[in-house]
Amino acid sequence: MAKPVEAESSFVSDNARQAEAVSVSASTPVADGPPSAGDQPKWASPEFGAIYEEHSRQIYYVALRFLGDPTQAEDATHDVFLKAYRKLGEFRGESAMRTWLYRITSNHCRNLLQTWHQRNMVSNADDTLWETAVAAAESPLRVLEIKELGQRIQQTLDGLPPEYRLLLLLVADQQMSYKEIATLTEQSPDAVRGKLHRARKAFIAQFQKFT
Amino acid sequence: MNPKIPKLQQQQKQEAVEQTGQLRTAREFASVEEMLRDDAAQTSPPPRLAHRVAESIAKEPKPGRSWWQRLFSRRSADL
Repeated sequence: MAKPVEAESSFVSDNARQAEAVSVSASTPVADGPPSAGDQPKWASPEFGAIYEEHSRQIYYVALRFLGDPTQAEDATHDVFLKAYRKLGEFRGESAMRTWLYRITSNHCRNLLQTWHQRNMVSNADDTLWETAVAAAESPLRVLEIKELGQRIQQTLDGLPPEYRLLLLLVADQQMSYKEIATLTEQSPDAVRGKLHRARKAFIAQFQKFT
Repeated sequence: MNPKIPKLQQQQKQEAVEQTGQLRTAREFASVEEMLRDDAAQTSPPPRLAHRVAESIAKEPKPGRSWWQRLFSRRSADL
């Protein structure tokens, strides 16, 4: 029997995976403009629509803060859910759906980071993001605070090794235990705990540079 | 749901707070995780993304059912 979970389980990239990561984006249709408010997407599979509704916010957030670019995060989230749809028949239920989606996300984002294109790309981070992401009901001062904090968090995460960045983003999700993160990243819970300890220290040291 | 998870999460939270101290910004956060959770709560995917995913999926062949879905449908048919 095929082992689909293992197929997505390694962080080690190869050319085929890189090509796959890029090719899905390249073939993706882009919407012409923002849909009007209340315009709900028409899902060919309502069950998958429910999966998207439940997990897309967190998957997008991890992709955004891992990649550091809103446009790439959008493309990556699209590709993650498309891959998940294609592999849904192989999902064995041995892990939670969220964990399975994170596995696809981390592999996909790592592959993207390793491409030449990504290494040489100039980021347009945060300005476009915050125009759409912050709730309209927030006060201007609060919007500014949120925007500045988001930029500071992104600068801080950008200065950390990718592994630390990923571990912090995963553990910030309250649905994820050390054990689940350990399974996802193929290491022991103790190793996760030790690396998280160092990752927190590194985050704080880096964060304080941007005061 | 695994009853051990809330206790484990409590331990995780305690570790995070002990190792972090307080992170001072316009708001104070007890841990790195708390700050990232707050950041995540303020971050939404663009509304057009759901439409993009739905459009792409509409062009895909229907995926096969997973082994456990097939197993349970067979069992319920046998009953």
